[in-house]
Amino acid sequence: MRRWLAASAALWRLGIAEAVAYRTSMLVWILTTTFPLVSLALWSEIARSGGPIGAYGAPEFVAYFVGAFLVRQLTASWVVWDLERQIRLGDLNVLLMRPIHPLLHHLMQNLAALPVRLVLAAPLAIAVLIAAGGATWTQDAGALVVLPLALIGGWLLNFAVQASIACLAFWVTRSSAVYEIWAGLFMVLSGYVLPTSLLPGEVATIARALPFHAALGFPTELAVGRLTSVEAATGLAIQWGWAAAAWLGLVWAWRRGVRVYGAYGA
Amino acid sequence: MSELVVRAEGLSKRFTVAHREAGLGAAVRALFRRQTTTVEAVRGLSLSIARGERVGFLGPNGAGKTTTLKMFAGLLLPSAGSVRVGGWTPHQREREFLRSISLVVGQKRQLSWDLPAVDTFELNRVIFEIEGRIFKQRLERLVSLLAAGSIIEKPVRQLSLGERMKCELIAALLHGPQVLFLDEPTIGMDVAMQAAIRGFIRTYNEEEGATVLLTSHYMEDVAALCPRIVVIDEGRLRFDGSIEALTREISPLRRISVSAARIPAAAALAALGRVVEWSPSRVTLDVAPEAVAAVVPALLAWPESRELSVKDAPLEEVMRALFSRAKTDEEEAG
Repeated sequence: MRRWLAASAALWRLGIAEAVAYRTSMLVWILTTTFPLVSLALWSEIARSGGPIGAYGAPEFVAYFVGAFLVRQLTASWVVWDLERQIRLGDLNVLLMRPIHPLLHHLMQNLAALPVRLVLAAPLAIAVLIAAGGATWTQDAGALVVLPLALIGGWLLNFAVQASIACLAFWVTRSSAVYEIWAGLFMVLSGYVLPTSLLPGEVATIARALPFHAALGFPTELAVGRLTSVEAATGLAIQWGWAAAAWLGLVWAWRRGVRVYGAYGA
Repeated sequence: MSELVVRAEGLSKRFTVAHREAGLGAAVRALFRRQTTTVEAVRGLSLSIARGERVGFLGPNGAGKTTTLKMFAGLLLPSAGSVRVGGWTPHQREREFLRSISLVVGQKRQLSWDLPAVDTFELNRVIFEIEGRIFKQRLERLVSLLAAGSIIEKPVRQLSLGERMKCELIAALLHGPQVLFLDEPTIGMDVAMQAAIRGFIRTYNEEEGATVLLTSHYMEDVAALCPRIVVIDEGRLRFDGSIEALTREISPLRRISVSAARIPAAAALAALGRVVEWSPSRVTLDVAPEAVAAVVPALLAWPESRELSVKDAPLEEVMRALFSRAKTDEEEAG
């Protein structure tokens, strides 16, 4: 365990150094994830001019979408691109030659970027909050306890889904194309474009049980105080259930994939 | 015999490779009916390597050298046969196995591109569990041997190819591997840098008693470093022994060169041996080993005879002869 922690810490330090070295590209990446802020402008204006939509008035939309923006920064992963490229080009060889699991390398690389990303994203979120009229955060003690677990669960779910899809590269040429399908569904069903509770009828019920909502909509709603204790507990159970399933899928794909790995490249 | 470090028995590796003709139509057809071929990269290779040996893997492109090395290093699962390295089954990638070996690939890098190499060295210190004092000693020693003091703190992207390879070697050796797999470690380097890297590998082998397996397209690398060579072609073992033994087997003639005031016409030299190169002031002959004792005095008797040398045929020529002979044998058998 001590060895594992020491290796994780070393990888995290290297990841931080790389994240700082790539700070400009990271800032650009953050700017590409500002879609919730576009949704904020759109939906809050509609609510202002036409009255509340469901349980969302203009201030609720502001709180929700700024929350979604920040939750996205804290739970996002990009392992699908890195791991797919490494498998396809044979760059995974380097990680396989180290006496630690290659996925630990990716876990810590992704985790290391979070503080840097938050430092870069926070000023943007604060500026939006000032411009749009402030935010609402949950004051409920229970929700505040559950929130870190929900953020961790969201991050673990995103990471495992991406890494599992990347592992398809052991068998097919471009697994990231499969991820585009996931990303498309994520846009609609996660609460990224609009809160899932505003989807029509049964679609909302189904969407809120799917992993897309578990990854983004659930932690966002929890953060802005829109969930009861029962809803929070149920949401957390669903989210961690999906995360566990995604990790099982990842372990399965990894174990089989490494056996057929071509180690291409010189 | 010394302890065996590498032991391969009937080792084979098959790959399924997709292929299609050029053009849009072929691309569309491939979507529905993918054509594949099974390529046998390594076929029934049996090989043993003792502790501390320096072994050169030779063969043309696609011969199976790198695939063999990757199976030895645990990156590829063999399709058939077995291999043990240092008592471990490589593909199981046990932690202690990975701590006892290192793989350096000339065209791949383990160093973080935008950070100084020292950051990767520090990472390796932790993940290979190198004790602090030993790490410091080894780093100082490796930096000194490779004269790399001024480069390890620069971002890797700003290093030349040779400088980068020096840092790659340091990163690969900090944990003191007892088995070192080197795949084209000098590729793309100038002659001086190749010589420096060769010298370093020899020193590491001699000081640490490490086993070294090397593939290289540069025959000088192999000739200078490896008392033993293993020749692979089309996945099969073609030769295993010393360079001298290979040369005697494939190209037994000795190559004699001499300068003189006036070299006789080429036709007049046929009785001495086969003329390889001729100019009015210098000649090179291939001579049967048993005739060398008679030919050398005859050449020295020429007016102003000087700079006489007797050598084996160059390794490149020997390899060409070996591969063309293997092809002819196969065609005759087929």
